[in-house]
Amino acid sequence: KVQLRTATYIRYKANSECQNNVSSPTLDKETEDAATDNDRSDSGEFVVTMLAKAKLEEQGIGVKGRSSPLLEVGTQETPAFISHRDEDVTAESWRQHRKHVFVLSEAGKPIYSRYGSEEALSSTMGVMMALVSFVQSGDNIIRSEHIVVFLQKGPLVLVCVSSSRQTEQQLRGELLYVYYQIISMLTQASISRIFEHKKNYDLRRLLAGSEKILDGLLNLLDSDPSFLLAAVHCLPLACSLRDSLSQILQKAITPNLVFSILIARNQLLTIVQEKTVIEDARLEPADVHLLLNLIGASSAFQAGEIWTPICLPLFNPDCYFYAYISYLDPPECTVCLLLLSTDKEAFYAVAECKRKIEEAMMAQNSLSLIAKVQSYSVSQVGVSDLRHFMYKPFDVPDNYRHEEEKMRLLDLYRYMHNRIHSTSRPLKLIYHVAERETLLAWVTSKFELYTCFSPLVTKACAITAITKLLRWIKKEEDRLFIRYPPKYSTTPNPSKSSRGGKSDQQDSTDNGFLSLL
Amino acid sequence: MASGMQEKQYTPSLLNFFVYNPTFGQKEGEEEKKILFYHPSDVEKNEKIRNVGLCEAIVQFTRTFCPTKPAKSLHTQKNRQFFFEPEDNFWIVMVVRNPMIEKPNKDGKPPTVEYQEEEIIDPLLTLITFLVLQLFNGTFGRQMEAGGVELLIQKLEKFFYRYLQTLHLQSCDLLDVFGGISFFPLDKMTYLKIQSFVNRVEESLSLIKYTAFLYNDQLIWSGLEQDDMRILYKYLTTSLFPRHSEPELAGRDSPLRPEVAGNLLHYGRFLTGPTNLKDPEAKFRFPKIFVSTEDGYEELHLIVYKAMSAAACFMISASVELTRDFCEQLDGLVGPQLTLLASDICEQFTVNRRISGPEKEPQFKFIYFNHMNLAEKSTIHMRKTASVCLTSVHPDLMKILGDINCDFARVDEDEEIIVKAMTDYWVVGKKSDQRELYVILNQKNANLIEVNEEVKRLCATQFNNIFFLD
Repeated sequence: KVQLRTATYIRYKANSECQNNVSSPTLDKETEDAATDNDRSDSGEFVVTMLAKAKLEEQGIGVKGRSSPLLEVGTQETPAFISHRDEDVTAESWRQHRKHVFVLSEAGKPIYSRYGSEEALSSTMGVMMALVSFVQSGDNIIRSEHIVVFLQKGPLVLVCVSSSRQTEQQLRGELLYVYYQIISMLTQASISRIFEHKKNYDLRRLLAGSEKILDGLLNLLDSDPSFLLAAVHCLPLACSLRDSLSQILQKAITPNLVFSILIARNQLLTIVQEKTVIEDARLEPADVHLLLNLIGASSAFQAGEIWTPICLPLFNPDCYFYAYISYLDPPECTVCLLLLSTDKEAFYAVAECKRKIEEAMMAQNSLSLIAKVQSYSVSQVGVSDLRHFMYKPFDVPDNYRHEEEKMRLLDLYRYMHNRIHSTSRPLKLIYHVAERETLLAWVTSKFELYTCFSPLVTKACAITAITKLLRWIKKEEDRLFIRYPPKYSTTPNPSKSSRGGKSDQQDSTDNGFLSLL
Repeated sequence: MASGMQEKQYTPSLLNFFVYNPTFGQKEGEEEKKILFYHPSDVEKNEKIRNVGLCEAIVQFTRTFCPTKPAKSLHTQKNRQFFFEPEDNFWIVMVVRNPMIEKPNKDGKPPTVEYQEEEIIDPLLTLITFLVLQLFNGTFGRQMEAGGVELLIQKLEKFFYRYLQTLHLQSCDLLDVFGGISFFPLDKMTYLKIQSFVNRVEESLSLIKYTAFLYNDQLIWSGLEQDDMRILYKYLTTSLFPRHSEPELAGRDSPLRPEVAGNLLHYGRFLTGPTNLKDPEAKFRFPKIFVSTEDGYEELHLIVYKAMSAAACFMISASVELTRDFCEQLDGLVGPQLTLLASDICEQFTVNRRISGPEKEPQFKFIYFNHMNLAEKSTIHMRKTASVCLTSVHPDLMKILGDINCDFARVDEDEEIIVKAMTDYWVVGKKSDQRELYVILNQKNANLIEVNEEVKRLCATQFNNIFFLD
């Protein structure tokens, strides 16, 4: 029996600054919880994230009995999450966390803390705020046993205290992700407006329940290298299967639909996008990461269909899209369909698209084909000395299965990434012989490769291995990567063909999925 | 229209330097008592208090996360601060302005300034500063015992006034990180001559406890503990010798030329202590240094005596009073012998150079450092003094060396790092058994294997049996 805490209800008024023709949403208020009603204290307009369970039901959206997706705080949380919130901040164990992240407002009001509750940390946050204001504006870092990185974005201040030996650029990048995830729930314009209006506003009122999403993001940042490489993890699919899926998506369209995305096991299957309005603009990998995190962080998405506003910060930080989210294979819930529209009222039309897609996939037996797909392993590459490599997809060989070792390996890659991409003295190649492994990182105009060998490998062997590996990747390219997202057009004039596919693209260098190929 | 102005590059510069102890002024209104030294001194009192307060706050804040190891540095866009606590509650803080580039703007707009973030050697400077301070004044604790806060403040003022002028941030690089000592290469005969000279002097003047012998800013022999010698060497080569080198280079008729009045037997003179032995009224004192012993430290007079390019340092217990007679005795004994030695060494050196051929571009560009004996060797630096650092490679490559050194410092094990820079230069770093070697190769089309072979060749000729990795 699912016990649901009351999700925050929100009401939003016209967002007149929004571009992209998003119609102003004006859902009526339906507050169940007066305490979270923000309205009385604030006059004037403000836009806030929506999540009313009753609201959804009333409009016939969503499935009865389910809470809203974004800010659900049911008992589906694992015990581990709950304990983080209640952690004792004076204990040694709190100090020993590898990475702390704090978000506070300019006025020093706590908003989020990864470990420990914000209340208990309010004095620490006060100190952080004092430090930020005392020291000059701009981004500041403190180095000690830990690195403390401060990032100020608009009215929000984000702080990271990390002993992970990452560089400040990398940590700042992670803080930026946290900021973007908050934006994805509230939009930048509304945050600015709220704080302009009331400097000491407590943003937690709007973000209540979203800690899980931020927690999930931070865990992903720690363990998933796709953030580091600014690339999206794609499930390797046979070309034909991917093409067929893309075509299915291309055919199931409706006006105002801009992106259709298919995801399996948290990796991208395919993405197609609208042509005329969006033209060549693409979803940045960061936006895709945020979407994937959002979907993965909450198991509430797993039931039925969800219709929720979401902002894509890198695409447009001030506006909402409306996302239709539905898993195609309950109860395993590994394949998820995500349809983004600019029209708030389009739920039924979009849901209809989903049914079309489902039918077509059923006809082609796509689901079972997808289920059979496996991530490849090093052994498939057939290179004997190679232990591990990272060339977009992440492969985990046996010696690194253990969690700590995985982390250590990722840390090593991060260190190499940082050296190679240093702003003042970037490098083309690093070959590092250390006690436990030999690492080789190589950047060219076409790709970025990070590899790991046994420490006793000779240079000649390593070079041979790399050559073999690159050859293999080239051969399997079409299966491993999505180069060109197909397109469609939803405008009534079908004269622009929605063929999409490779012929549409001239230049793949700015492709968001393969940032460097 | 283009004004024709160039980009101006600003090197890093020292903004602030202060020493404080937070336990000294804990009461409201007495914060100023915490400050033991502050540079620049003409800053308003409240601003000093505020800056010190900020440091305290940062240290406190980082203690929340790691009580035993608080903040080391604070980096902002424009500058960076380094915090160093050499002794309990005594803090040394250095604030450096980041290097920047000023790009002129058209239409009379103020130029845009771009700050450059860099990993620099600065943190070491605070350590070195403290060590030099300690060399001449002993620890903070000891000074407090000897004369309390007032005396400490006076001494700090005196010391830093001079020392800060010798801090040249822009010329710091990897060699400063090593804090090594450059050894003067000698043949066996000459080395023995120097040894016997030292023995003779020490026997005749039994007050002498330790001796050190340098030639041309390079060390030949030292009887001091390695750590102490390292700092003394730094002081000698960055402070004392530069101060006294000008007169020697001056022409014969220049007023700067030291009074060699009447003493035509030798060219020796005191660099510390009496400047003119002939004048009986002139007062003099020798600087005192503190060196470590098994159970603490001992205070010594530092006598530095120079003849041409050779310098001998004699250290005598501070409890002894050094009279004019003693100085004359030393002058008479050491002067002629040192002069002779100096010209011997010079001759040997010239002969050797003639044999080995004119100095041309060295075949391999490398830097070598041995942690055990602090020996350093560089074929990259053409000239390195405290204020000037001339290398034959681009500064960015030197910074890459610094990066590799940082990586080596993280672990104890032997490692090897090879990188290819954007300019297609290859940089190879090898660490093996307390020795480090950095090689820069300008072979644009070489691949990893070829570079490896080159470095192996270098190791075979110059560093046989030292670096074993493939």
